[in-house]
Amino acid sequence: MVKVYQSTVLNAPADRVWRDLRDFNGLANWHPAVALSRIENGHPADKIGCVRYYQQKDGAKIRERLLSLSDYEYTCMSAILDSPLELTDYIATIRLFPVTEGNRCFIEWSAEFECSPNKETELTEIVGRQWFQAGFDALKKRYGQG
Amino acid sequence: MKVKVIRSAVIDAPVERVWAVLRDFNSHRLWHEAVTGSDIENDLDGDVVGCVRRFDIAGAELREQLIRHSDPDRTYSYCILDATPPLIDYVATLRIKPVTDGNRTFLDWRSEFRTAADRSRELETFVERDIFEAGFTGLRKFLADQAGPSTPPVEKNGVEVTPVSVDEPLSSRAIVVETAGAPEVMTLDWATIPAPGPGQVRVRQTAVAVNYLDLMHRQGKASELSLPATPGLESVGEIIDVGDQVHDLFVGDRVACLTRTSGAYAESRCVDAGDCLPLPAGITDLEASTLLKGATAGLLLGRIFNVAPGKVILIQSIAGGLGHLLCQWAKSLNLKVMGTVSTVEKARFIRDLGCDFPIVLEEGIRLRDEVMRMTNGKGVDYGVHSNDGADDAFSCLARCGHMALIGDRGGQPVSIDTNTLKKQSLSVSVPVCFDYFDDRIYLQRLAHQYFTKIQSRSIIPAIETFHLSHAADAHKQIESRQNMGAIVLVNERSE
Repeated sequence: MVKVYQSTVLNAPADRVWRDLRDFNGLANWHPAVALSRIENGHPADKIGCVRYYQQKDGAKIRERLLSLSDYEYTCMSAILDSPLELTDYIATIRLFPVTEGNRCFIEWSAEFECSPNKETELTEIVGRQWFQAGFDALKKRYGQG
Repeated sequence: MKVKVIRSAVIDAPVERVWAVLRDFNSHRLWHEAVTGSDIENDLDGDVVGCVRRFDIAGAELREQLIRHSDPDRTYSYCILDATPPLIDYVATLRIKPVTDGNRTFLDWRSEFRTAADRSRELETFVERDIFEAGFTGLRKFLADQAGPSTPPVEKNGVEVTPVSVDEPLSSRAIVVETAGAPEVMTLDWATIPAPGPGQVRVRQTAVAVNYLDLMHRQGKASELSLPATPGLESVGEIIDVGDQVHDLFVGDRVACLTRTSGAYAESRCVDAGDCLPLPAGITDLEASTLLKGATAGLLLGRIFNVAPGKVILIQSIAGGLGHLLCQWAKSLNLKVMGTVSTVEKARFIRDLGCDFPIVLEEGIRLRDEVMRMTNGKGVDYGVHSNDGADDAFSCLARCGHMALIGDRGGQPVSIDTNTLKKQSLSVSVPVCFDYFDDRIYLQRLAHQYFTKIQSRSIIPAIETFHLSHAADAHKQIESRQNMGAIVLVNERSE
């Protein structure tokens, strides 16, 4: 089991950031690597079990299922169904915590998956840096630096 | 009525460092400014689930029990067992998480409790501000102070900077006492300081404290210190080289050295790494050289006496090295301070430092009469006594009062009649500070408290300096009882 964890601090209240993140179909609005996204079968994006299909700017196509969504805990969990990455059992969690001091928020993004040992370093880099941290960098720009 | 409080902050330190401090349930007294006392009952460690801490915070007394603790999740929860404010079913959780982006720490502190509706707003504010937010401020300050001292050499342009250490025997001047006697038996001589052995560091000293025990040592009256020798137990300086098996100190660190064996009256010396305390940036070498006296003051007020605001303390020789620091520390805890001095000039000096009732011991003055007059016949709650006349001092105590006998009195015992003690339910202790300071964590806490008080100017150490070569004059100054405040020897060649 490989675990990847990234976190940062965003200069906006958790409620504000959650408005953007809770939209399971909203990746293309803020993640710089995503070109387009849609929810299969016309389901609403906050229906647990719905599947999003998105295409990255490098052409990679990924299908991901929404496992849980909590407005109370600002948490969203999803699992990859199909992707070009050589990994299985990928489950990711994104979660916000209010930072009461300064009215900002702390965001963490983590994932667990299985892969062959010789792929571990490469996949950790792809998931941690090119996916999580790249998303954070875009969000930091979006909400401005304090 | 149910109340929920959540406060969170980002702390500018790696999560491992923050957790190293926080994981001890009893660590609040180190970093939370509002915590005046915290102890775990039954001597348990602060990471034993189920342990109970007694806690004085912002004027409230609490007993709290640790009910969950997890190192992998870096979190613990605790509940209140008893509290002076009506915090019912109070459960709090503290959790920290790494901010990988920038190597910082996210800290989330929350609690839930029930209380009467008309008090909910007030108690919510109390928990929010006085406990949680004040905790963030205190923790930041504590980590910053801690960060100052020990820093490994930095890499510049990818090249590791190896500290230049002397690493061979070093010629240094030191005071030597061949045979016991008057101050003049102290002579300055050359000595060879070897390279530090395993577990040791070599320190170039800038300030050497003169403590009363040094005088006893010179006079041949200190039971544990033999002659010939170089006197002195306490010094401050810069580490010039580091022996094997020393992992937490570096060349260039400023440290205070407190040793049980003598040898401090010298330009440099080797000491065990465990006897060194790294110094925060805001404290000067001279100020730091009063650590033993300051920490003893903290020991008396924090552990020996069960202090409470408004109580009265009587300090013998209050204008001296320990006395003037004890006076200021006691004032910062809102005690009423009384003390004896030998001259009017000293009375003025100590009054300026906050002493409420200086008593000048002139001919015809009886200490007990003065004390009773000033306390409306009640007496004092705590006494600190160092010299002769212990009987007189005991007669100044109020019912259930406590007397701490410090100093050595030239090895002469004080005879105590237990019937006299019983008459007033008096108690007495004879603390030897090194027995307490062998617990290095405790000494670090005291040092932190002391330095914080110096930085906030609630304690201002008065320091008179002599050159190391004039150590005899420094001793004469103390023996003739002319000193006000602490006396420190400075190395004239490092000025």
